[in-house]
Amino acid sequence: MIENVYEQHEWKHPTIVAGVPWKNPVGTASGTFQLAACRWFYDVSQMGAISTKGVSPIPWEGNPAPRTAESPAGMVNAVGLQNPGVDHYLVDELPKLKELGALVVTNVAGHSDDDYAQVVEKLADSPADMLEINVSCPNVSHGGMSVGSDPQALSRLIKRLRALTTKPMVVKLSPNVTDIVSIAKSAVDAGADALSLINTLVGMRIDVQTGEPIIANRTGGVSGPAIFPIALGFVWRVRQALPDIPIIGIGGIDSGLKALEYLYAGANAVEVGAAALYDPTAPIRVARELDDLLDERPQLAAKLAKGETWR
Amino acid sequence: MTNKLMFKPTEIVVKQAHDAHLYPSRRSVQVVESRQLTSGVYMLRLRDEFIAKHAKPAQFINVYSHDAQRLLPRPFGVCNIQDDIVTIMYAVIGDGTEEFSHLQAGDFIDILGPLGKPYDLQKSAHYVLIGGGLGIPPVLSAAQYLAVRDDVKTTAVLGYRDEKFADDIAKQYVADVHSISNSEGNVITVLQQLQQQLQHDDLPVICIACGPAPMMKAIAHWAKEFDFACQFSLEERMGCGYGTCVACVVDTVDGRKKVCVDGPVFTSEDLGWR
Repeated sequence: MIENVYEQHEWKHPTIVAGVPWKNPVGTASGTFQLAACRWFYDVSQMGAISTKGVSPIPWEGNPAPRTAESPAGMVNAVGLQNPGVDHYLVDELPKLKELGALVVTNVAGHSDDDYAQVVEKLADSPADMLEINVSCPNVSHGGMSVGSDPQALSRLIKRLRALTTKPMVVKLSPNVTDIVSIAKSAVDAGADALSLINTLVGMRIDVQTGEPIIANRTGGVSGPAIFPIALGFVWRVRQALPDIPIIGIGGIDSGLKALEYLYAGANAVEVGAAALYDPTAPIRVARELDDLLDERPQLAAKLAKGETWR
Repeated sequence: MTNKLMFKPTEIVVKQAHDAHLYPSRRSVQVVESRQLTSGVYMLRLRDEFIAKHAKPAQFINVYSHDAQRLLPRPFGVCNIQDDIVTIMYAVIGDGTEEFSHLQAGDFIDILGPLGKPYDLQKSAHYVLIGGGLGIPPVLSAAQYLAVRDDVKTTAVLGYRDEKFADDIAKQYVADVHSISNSEGNVITVLQQLQQQLQHDDLPVICIACGPAPMMKAIAHWAKEFDFACQFSLEERMGCGYGTCVACVVDTVDGRKKVCVDGPVFTSEDLGWR
């Protein structure tokens, strides 16, 4: 147990993701981090990386409420990528995060190839350290998961974005596909520098008093500890098929031990998502727990520090 | 059944966060008292110096289940503060609140807060405190806050489904308490009886309300005629309760806002209700 999650910590076990050094292998997962909310609970510069909420070319209002419902050991959400747009992000959250010393992974959202391209163009000269292309959101009507579930459409998009930026580009994959390996391969062949997986799994809850879905969008994305073994299985399969691509493992991580399972499955790093919603300091706590767990695993720690993976 | 510490005790977390100039995260507090007020409605009293010191009317606290199947917080408005003891009230509506209803004095429970933007009670005014059902507790918090001020007047209008479970507390802080249960009418019935007197008040009238959305809309409609200002504390399904998940939104004239951090308090103007 970490005695004090608030104190400054000397990180012992860094990692490298697509050439970018992270001070530890734990980031925040996109959609669960808002600077204005999280910065009061921990020092954001202490995280391996901060993956920010998806930004679109213009402000998006997202879906109507209700947007969330609890599910066993998890939650279903359908926010619909509400965000103030890339122009606002470039003068607000991004400079603030950089000023605080954070390593920033900017999550990019769009309804169309043109949308993604517009955002990536605007971010090309920004201080963002990495870009994460969100082709896996299940809660927007166009773009999102519809691109990320079609290898040809994904290839076309990533090739186009690749030509627009030299920043390390991570593609965030959806689990809501028949064959994640073919999607992963098409992203990598088109120029992705790394993969992050998984985004949420499509799910829903129904109010038995009314017989109607609880969430206004009807279906949403399931996250939380309930999806941990599923997400881990996806990371394993992608790592088995693609031995060299850097992978960020995401899904149900609420402890250093669960993060460690991802690293043994072949991930270079992980991101903490839903756990932050019920424990605001979860990301930094997981990072601290993992840092201690890696003390006892020098071989794994040495591989990560060189940008290599266990598998 | 729940006499266990899930997270660190509040005094440790508060001190560690304070030393790092950060806000205390989720922590365990001790239950001082838990009892049923009326059918399905419970009162929970918790010991937490930090909330007691900092909570303002309409701010809420997240309360967490001990069951790992139920991860999301249940947000409850702070109702009353005595020394370092914080009172909340809630209705049993699902498995989470059912679990809380079995808490006993001495048990531990995890909380986060205080959270949210409070009512603006700075003006010298006649505050009409209007609560409906489980919207009454935040209004009682405003009553307690205003009771020590000599530049304000207060009137409480409390609407209940059946039993008037909170009148006793209200009467400790407000001389003029009007309450009504469903069989007798609703808060609008009472407000209409008071409107002539309020119209001729020498102080500006500010309605402070919390309750079901139809009730609050009806109050906004009623208040508009007399140009009374209104502040509403809203309820919405929340994910995190502290502004990071963007789940609990409400449509305002300035677009979709988060109920948990941009609110829960919004004015009639914010909501386009006038």
